[in-house]
Amino acid sequence: MIYIIDHKDSFTHNVVHQFERFDDVTCDNFYEINEDKLNKSKVIVFSPGPGAPKDYPISSGIYKRFKGKKKIIGICLGFQQILHCEKGKIIKQKKIYHGYQSKIKVTSANSLFKKNRKFNVGRYHSLKLKEPFAAKNFEITMRCAISNVAMAIENNKENIYGFQFHPESFLTENGNLLIKKILSA
Amino acid sequence: MIKKNYLENLNNSNKPFIIYRSKKGFDLYTDFSKKIILTKNNIEKFINQSTKLKSKKKETDLFIGFFGYEILNNLIGIKVKKKKGLKFPKGIFYKPETKLKLPNKLNYKNLRLVKPNKLFKININKSSYKVIFDKFKKKIKSGETYQIKICTKYSNKAQIDALDYFSRLVKTNMAPEAFMIKDKDYSIISCSPENLIIKKNDLITTKPIAGTLKKNMKLNKVKALVFFKKNIKESKEHNMIVDMERSDLSKICKVGSVKILKKKIVEEYKDLYHYVSLIGGRLKKNISSLDIIKAMMPGGSVIGCPKISTLNLLNKQEKENRNVYTGSFGYIKSNGDMRFNIIIRSILNYKGNSEISVASGVVIDSNARHEFNENYIKAKALMDLYK
Repeated sequence: MIYIIDHKDSFTHNVVHQFERFDDVTCDNFYEINEDKLNKSKVIVFSPGPGAPKDYPISSGIYKRFKGKKKIIGICLGFQQILHCEKGKIIKQKKIYHGYQSKIKVTSANSLFKKNRKFNVGRYHSLKLKEPFAAKNFEITMRCAISNVAMAIENNKENIYGFQFHPESFLTENGNLLIKKILSA
Repeated sequence: MIKKNYLENLNNSNKPFIIYRSKKGFDLYTDFSKKIILTKNNIEKFINQSTKLKSKKKETDLFIGFFGYEILNNLIGIKVKKKKGLKFPKGIFYKPETKLKLPNKLNYKNLRLVKPNKLFKININKSSYKVIFDKFKKKIKSGETYQIKICTKYSNKAQIDALDYFSRLVKTNMAPEAFMIKDKDYSIISCSPENLIIKKNDLITTKPIAGTLKKNMKLNKVKALVFFKKNIKESKEHNMIVDMERSDLSKICKVGSVKILKKKIVEEYKDLYHYVSLIGGRLKKNISSLDIIKAMMPGGSVIGCPKISTLNLLNKQEKENRNVYTGSFGYIKSNGDMRFNIIIRSILNYKGNSEISVASGVVIDSNARHEFNENYIKAKALMDLYK
């Protein structure tokens, strides 16, 4: 079972709909966590949402409790939530991407995805990861093809994955395939 | 066919009635046997019972009416503080016993002499609009909202002949979701172009509009599409709404069934072009009318995105009640099928007061002056009726 933690976003149910293609999904608000279901789940997903990671201490607590024990996936705010817990700094960016389709590139040979592959994705973010960023076992594996901003992180050792873009958006090419690959990794 | 002068007689009789745009003309509903005034406490019960009429086959086996903005907030657990403005009911539904078809052209002329008041007051002037606008831009930069719609309201004191206003409005601004309600102490007139829900059996669709272009001599439908596609701001606003509506539908639809049926097309109206998408899905089993309404309302395209945090920002900011504006008008049939629009481009007249609300979106690259003027243009078509 996949447990999706909703940060009150208007895209969360696209994420639910997408993950439901591959497994049973339970989705609860971040302040209404069902401990029993959370414990039983195999995968935890942190949804997109408004605001910044520091606004969601409960989600940070869940990340720290289950890191290394369950597969963890973060999308947009969820991606930033993981980075925030790994001591990364999340900052405002000059150019704001809300409803924006742009090209990104796989930049690492250690990624589950083929290096140098480019594809179009949907983006909704006003904040970004401040670099340089380093955390044990984590690697930035995808970047914006133009601005070079970090677009994905992978930690294949502890099964933690994050995307700054939205794999569930209609603006993202092959979003379903991407999630399928992460889930079967 | 209805008799000549039927509308005149009905209008003069002071009997409440409703007119709603149909495919080829209009449907008229009257002889109401029930009138339900909605409150926070009875709305869920009303929606649940609306499909429990014994008869399900007649054309009048339905409840028709509207949900105001505030009650739709309450329904999804958002509190709205007490606001200034007209104390108008939060929602009213009627059970009609008569339904008649009306032709495309409403032949009605007001013969009584009514002297309307042409002067409208605006609740937010240009400089205070700019202050709100800049405040919301900051909220976009910090990620609290991605898109937010500021509402301005024009009001005046006027007795109006609602049917006369509606007939004139649809002559110049026919719209697929146009409707009017006339009751003893209030009337609503709207040329809404936007459908929020069409539900038939297990099929549900929504048709958000994001992007408007005024017509001129040089434009045609193809050129309008090129304009929208090249205009990054309009495209981004539209993309956001499409993803949001997909998400709302995904709450109640079967896995894999939510699809964009028409992606970013242009629809032509008398004075403008709209940038429109059609999104649909197949409902999961055991989804109730209440589930559908809670998932879809208030309609996202007139609020902003993401819905909950944006609604909270709006409710903190707005001093006056939106009343019917950005609520939904439509019907629930006793077999569970429904049709609802989003109430925009509307006039609410209540106890001799008229109000016209309009809104336009703030995204990161919008311009305050442009949006303020856009609001005025939208309101002007309705204010012109008072001349």
